[in-house]
Amino acid sequence: MAAENDTDTYGLTAPYADELNDDVTRWDRAGEFPHEKWKPLQRSGLFTLPFAPEHGGAGRTLTETMAALEGLGHTSRDAGLNFSASTQIVSVGIPLQAFGSAELRERYLPRVTSGEAITAHAITEPGHGSDVMNIRTTAVRDGDDYVLNGGKLFITNAPVADLFLLYVRTGKPGAFGLSTFLAERSTPGLTVGEPLDTMGLRTSPISEVTLTDVRLPVANRLGSEGAGFLIMDYVMKREVLFSFAVNLGEMTHRLKRVVEHATTRQQFGASIGKNQAVAHKIADMRIAVETARKWLYDTGRKVEQGKDASLDVAATKIVVSEANQLTARHAIQIFGARGYLTDTGIERELRNATAGSIYSGTNEIQRNCIAALMGL
Amino acid sequence: MSTTATDPIRDYIVQEFLAGEDAADLTDDFDLIESTVVNSLGLVRLISWISETYGIPVDDIPLEPAAYRTLADIRRFVSEAAPAAV
Repeated sequence: MAAENDTDTYGLTAPYADELNDDVTRWDRAGEFPHEKWKPLQRSGLFTLPFAPEHGGAGRTLTETMAALEGLGHTSRDAGLNFSASTQIVSVGIPLQAFGSAELRERYLPRVTSGEAITAHAITEPGHGSDVMNIRTTAVRDGDDYVLNGGKLFITNAPVADLFLLYVRTGKPGAFGLSTFLAERSTPGLTVGEPLDTMGLRTSPISEVTLTDVRLPVANRLGSEGAGFLIMDYVMKREVLFSFAVNLGEMTHRLKRVVEHATTRQQFGASIGKNQAVAHKIADMRIAVETARKWLYDTGRKVEQGKDASLDVAATKIVVSEANQLTARHAIQIFGARGYLTDTGIERELRNATAGSIYSGTNEIQRNCIAALMGL
Repeated sequence: MSTTATDPIRDYIVQEFLAGEDAADLTDDFDLIESTVVNSLGLVRLISWISETYGIPVDDIPLEPAAYRTLADIRRFVSEAAPAAV
């Protein structure tokens, strides 16, 4: 059986399993964000973990936060909710704590760490997905304000978010012309589109965000003008570690479920796990899960120590997302017709896993990054 | 300023941008940008590393490539921004 994480934060959400797993199939069919399940996550303290105590945080480390998110993935069968929860921690809170002014931190972080304010960050644009260096949404300085115009697309949590972190262009083309701004949903000119219907992660709502003459004070800028790409680099490393730690927990649960099925399901007078064709698939699942675990926590420790982990983060994203897809495919095959039924939740896991090779920078872009980092 | 193997800024650049290559030419005035040893992606990594390693807030970090053109330029900026660290 796959190893359990022995970090003390791992079991944080386990007491809320019944609430989190209530009617998951129905919520998935409806494609709606389950607001009522946000409350047990708030009560668990999950959203407080990596933040300073003076802002309502628990002051835990990056890897302790990863362990809690891994635990969430193991506990909760609602991968969409899990993804929204991970986004809640990383999208606004993490950059606000690291780069926000004292005034911004004091004003907004308590609402983020309590989960009272749901958060989103807006990077992707209709014409520029993973090509973030070419962000076109602009912010033009006008006295003590900036005026923002443009559009963002596929923004996780946007339909339910109260706070947005916006990555926009304030200067010249390229990386150092980007800046980052915090905006409340009620800001005039900020329009959130209807939720987009998706294949997987259906309870994690995504939509378009349009900015039309959105006026934000200079005080809402995080870091200096032009520091947006540095903030994004800092955030994306943690986004990969947090959201894919969730996947690790989901995979660990999946593997346990498959082993249980393979040892109890009888065919031709023996458990199906006695067939090498099945056993080898399960062995491959175990290898994929443990490889994902090693990459995730090795990279997490490297980031925690302030080391340059650019290549490691890209590789981790690829390894974990592809392990998630492989284990989900094998699970369906091993469960057979039962795996294909929506009520068992196995097919849902494959739909959910598909998103992982697309979000947070497609796996193709990650491979490009690795090649570039190797000097190719 | 010396360029010995114990120089953390030089060590970082050799390890991350010149791994497996002869670093003998990496003198204090070697142009990292012009030579493309550090490209735009590399510049983001370099600045992030400096910020985290020396605890320099992002607001105090120059974002112009000219500030990172040579080892001497980088050391000068770091010694001004975080004098206790160098």
